[in-house]
Amino acid sequence: MRRALGLLAALALVLAGCGGGSDDDTSTGQQVAPAKGSPILIGSKNFTEQTILGELYRQALEAKGFEVVLKPAIGSSEIIHRALRRGSLDMYPEYVGVLLSEVAEVRARPRSAAAAYKLAKVYEKRAGFTMLAQSRLSDANALAVKPRFAARHRLHTIADLRRVPGKVRISALSEFNTRFEGRVGLREVYGLRNLRVTVVPSDGRYSALEDGSVDVASVFTAESQLAGDDYVVLGDPRRLFASGHVAPIVSDKTLAAHGPDLRAAIDAVTRVLTTPAMRRMNAAVDLRRRKPAVVAGEFLRAQRLT
Amino acid sequence: MLRRSLRTQITTRVVALSAAAAVLLGAALVVLIVAVTGQRDAARTAFRSQQALSLANQLEKSLLTVESGLNRYITTEQERFLVPVRRELAAFPPATRRLAELVSNDPGQQRRAHEIGDAIKDYDELWASLLPDVARQDFAIARAQVKTSGGRDRLDAIRMRFGTLFDRERAVIRGREHNANQRSARAIGLGIGGLALVIAIALGFTLYLRRSVLRPVRAVAEATGRLAAGDLSTRVPAQREDELGELARGFNSMADSLERGREELEHSNAELTRSNAELEQFASVTSHDLQAPLTTISMYAELLERRRGEPRGGDLDLVDGIRGATQQARTLIRDLLEYSRAGRGRLSVEEVPARLVVEQALEALAGAIEESGAEITVGELPVVRADRASLCRVFQNLVGNAVKFTKEDTPHVSIDADRDNGDWRFSVRDNGIGMNPEHAQRIFEPFQRLHGEEDYPGTGIGLAVCERIVDQLGGRIWVSSSPGEGSVFQFTLPAAAAAGSEPPPRVRASA
Repeated sequence: MRRALGLLAALALVLAGCGGGSDDDTSTGQQVAPAKGSPILIGSKNFTEQTILGELYRQALEAKGFEVVLKPAIGSSEIIHRALRRGSLDMYPEYVGVLLSEVAEVRARPRSAAAAYKLAKVYEKRAGFTMLAQSRLSDANALAVKPRFAARHRLHTIADLRRVPGKVRISALSEFNTRFEGRVGLREVYGLRNLRVTVVPSDGRYSALEDGSVDVASVFTAESQLAGDDYVVLGDPRRLFASGHVAPIVSDKTLAAHGPDLRAAIDAVTRVLTTPAMRRMNAAVDLRRRKPAVVAGEFLRAQRLT
Repeated sequence: MLRRSLRTQITTRVVALSAAAAVLLGAALVVLIVAVTGQRDAARTAFRSQQALSLANQLEKSLLTVESGLNRYITTEQERFLVPVRRELAAFPPATRRLAELVSNDPGQQRRAHEIGDAIKDYDELWASLLPDVARQDFAIARAQVKTSGGRDRLDAIRMRFGTLFDRERAVIRGREHNANQRSARAIGLGIGGLALVIAIALGFTLYLRRSVLRPVRAVAEATGRLAAGDLSTRVPAQREDELGELARGFNSMADSLERGREELEHSNAELTRSNAELEQFASVTSHDLQAPLTTISMYAELLERRRGEPRGGDLDLVDGIRGATQQARTLIRDLLEYSRAGRGRLSVEEVPARLVVEQALEALAGAIEESGAEITVGELPVVRADRASLCRVFQNLVGNAVKFTKEDTPHVSIDADRDNGDWRFSVRDNGIGMNPEHAQRIFEPFQRLHGEEDYPGTGIGLAVCERIVDQLGGRIWVSSSPGEGSVFQFTLPAAAAAGSEPPPRVRASA
């Protein structure tokens, strides 16, 4: 509760345009300091895109001579962020919006992606971590429906779901029920109370939509299934889904231990990440069953980063 | 040098064979020790591996305990379910280190053990320790986390690693046991082979001893027996050039020496016998031949005495002197002849009633007995095996001495016989002058006298004749006496054959 109050104070400053804390903000120093020369522990969450991101950073850093240990498939933000804070990890790629909504528990919606990033950066800095540059890639939370369903109910935005008679059936991951950028936010921000959530595995969201067992799917915007016209992504006028841009969070101790080369190497990867590129890589792994490490390696070589 | 090396040939062989057997035994022992050590090491390794497997099982169980505790905690929202979780989490680091120590030295197993340790560490740090924090913030979020990013996948992955570790460890154990068994079997085979070789060497050694040592030694022993039995012509083969050859040559040399000694002894004996015979012949002939001229002298002395009619004083004394000396010479020659004949010639040994013999002797001595007034007592006497005439001479001489060597009072002579083991012991006891015991042996020698001729006439040949006869009859004779106390002459004779089991017939006789 105390942490939430402190965060609200910082947030208020950011929203008022007074600027956030600089990189020199005092760290709470909760994490265990890595000894110089010890490997950099990179974590990633437990879904395809995160696995690919983890491989991208690992291979790029190793190409620059850093010793890296990748710990993939750790869990969702609620888990992996705690691991970072405890020092069990040195860095992991995070989605700015998810960090703000689910970890920092910010309820006020940022006005823009840049504002969200700035807010998240301040939040991390206060704890002794640095959110490095964010990517052009955006893989935000979203809701998708079949075009026929959208047409039948004249759906354009999320708010339109209130017009759907009866229950709106949604296929989602289990965390959807407890997340602000999920059922909680849909109720609080859009007033949607007629949702019936069907918890499915990650690859079951679209198939549930296809077989008609649900009306709506909780999706991520960079998913390859959304590349065509098979689905309609509903608009989010109230910016419930704050920002889907990816930004690596690194402990200040690690950055200090390995110098500016580490930051440069990480930023170099982040800089080349785009939504189409990520979508292609996700498709290569999810649809063509290629190994994430191989896909990531090919991308880095194409970008001349390895 | 050659002789020395030949002499030590058997010793060298024995030492060499013993050394070879000892070396083989030692080698077999070493091989067995190596096998036993290998088995022990294999057992230790297997025990460590069993401990590793047991610990790994325990770790698996602990992981399930943690996962189960976490699930119960976030489901029931009761803090107590975290107690076993914390306990098990705290025990993981030392347990995983111990696991790495216990697994076999196989590099793959070491790597797997470390990977399991890392995976468990990740499970702890990246999941199990974090989830309670999430739950304290919001149990619903924690429950959602369990569904989307639960530790179950991690556990499954760890259990798969455990499975690989188990399989590989068991394979390593089996491999090592197999190797240890193979080494053991090989070592036991070598040990048994070595022992068999040692036994073969021992058998060969025994045969060698039997053939090359025992047989020659036994031949020498048998030859020694024959030698002892009197076969001095016995010899043993002495061709060998070793110690046994030397022994055989020594034996043959000894037999040669003995044979030569016996030949010399036989030669000396023959010479001595011949010399004795000649001497006795000479004594016999001489004493016989001397009797004739002495008889003639004696006869002429008597004729001279008759023809003179009336003897004239001095001349007659001279003639008496001639006759007395001649008589003395005749007595001496008669006794000498008797002694030379005693114990010679063929004896007519038969069963003789001693009583009859004694009576015959007393009759022959009747004059002397009557003259001395002696009282003769004869006890019960047995039947003995003897030559009648010779035995009569013995009694005659002994009783004759008893009535001759008397003191002033009336002589008493008693003759008795007693059983002495398988013999009869006869005793002739008198109350005569006796003698000093130191002379007890001397009086049985020929012509040995204790008194002067003028005191007690005689030639001193009687007891020597007695000893010779008793000796020839298979007995012995001795005397017990002291001066003035009389004498007891005793002699033994073999009992008659019929007297073996029954009391002998005894005859009461008196003079």
